[in-house]
Amino acid sequence: MSSSHEAAPSPDFLAEEVRRYHHFIVLALWLAVVTGAEIVLIFLPIPVAAVLTILTLMSAGKFFAVILWFMHLIYDKRLLFWCFFAGLALAFATYAALIMLFSVDRIDTRWFS
Amino acid sequence: MSDTAAAHEAPTSTGIEHKKLIMWLFLASDCMFFGTLISTHLLYRKLFPAGFTDAEGHQRFIQNLFNIELTSFSTFILLMSSFLMALAVSAMHKGQIKSFRRNVLGVIFFGVIFLGCQVYEFTHFYHQGLTIQNSVLGSTFYVLTGTHGTHVAIGVLWLILMYFYSFTGKLGGHVGALDVEIAGLYWHFVDIVWIIIFTAVYLVEYLGPNGIWGTGLPAVAQ
Repeated sequence: MSSSHEAAPSPDFLAEEVRRYHHFIVLALWLAVVTGAEIVLIFLPIPVAAVLTILTLMSAGKFFAVILWFMHLIYDKRLLFWCFFAGLALAFATYAALIMLFSVDRIDTRWFS
Repeated sequence: MSDTAAAHEAPTSTGIEHKKLIMWLFLASDCMFFGTLISTHLLYRKLFPAGFTDAEGHQRFIQNLFNIELTSFSTFILLMSSFLMALAVSAMHKGQIKSFRRNVLGVIFFGVIFLGCQVYEFTHFYHQGLTIQNSVLGSTFYVLTGTHGTHVAIGVLWLILMYFYSFTGKLGGHVGALDVEIAGLYWHFVDIVWIIIFTAVYLVEYLGPNGIWGTGLPAVAQ
């Protein structure tokens, strides 16, 4: 289907696209800064638990920033967010279940040798 | 939902184009797939913290093997490719096909650089003694990052095809923009998976002398 058969985008739609364009630029800069901060953070003399917590929060922030803005979830129907969130929740639940199932500090690793 | 989304509601029972809904459902299932792979890697790192034994029989720790500068560079490249992909989708929505082509070429270029970094990393690790067969660490690491790399390669191939398809004149209008948006969703997903892998697989290895996994002493209650 050629573009010549389509109606031209409305001025409102174009204005919205321009607004999003600026969001994308700001977000890209923000992602680059956060990634740089993560790399610096691992070499700082801070307790490991604190660094792990901050790294997890930073990763989660980057993750949700990309899915909300770059993947347009913030502009789209909520149903799409919940579809994706269901998969995400199941993935996290799998990890949590494995952690509990294996009770990793007590397992006898000789079984695997 | 924004007013713009409401104004472009699809004539389906959900108000969402079927292609887009199916893509999101696929991404949700892929999320579970990668969730399992990442969980497996983390659990086995905890169970077998010692790393691997090289060809000379010496115990090696993965921290000495990783090249954080290279991995950071490839992470940055993938994030920027995601940015260009968002611009490509935006250009397509505005009907700017030339801008779309420029941005997609950038995404393909960055994707190829990322794959090149991964090939270099795998080759380097192999020559250092870490193979998919000689340790649990090697198995989980190569399967996880290799699966992600395969996803990137598929994405690059998809975008190359889309780039050439745009010259036929058939990639235009709402249908064309939707196709590009779906390819974009896939590419962004590959990016967000790497965001998690970068932290969970690479960065945590640098916390403490031997990562957060300890010194390699057996985790067995004797």
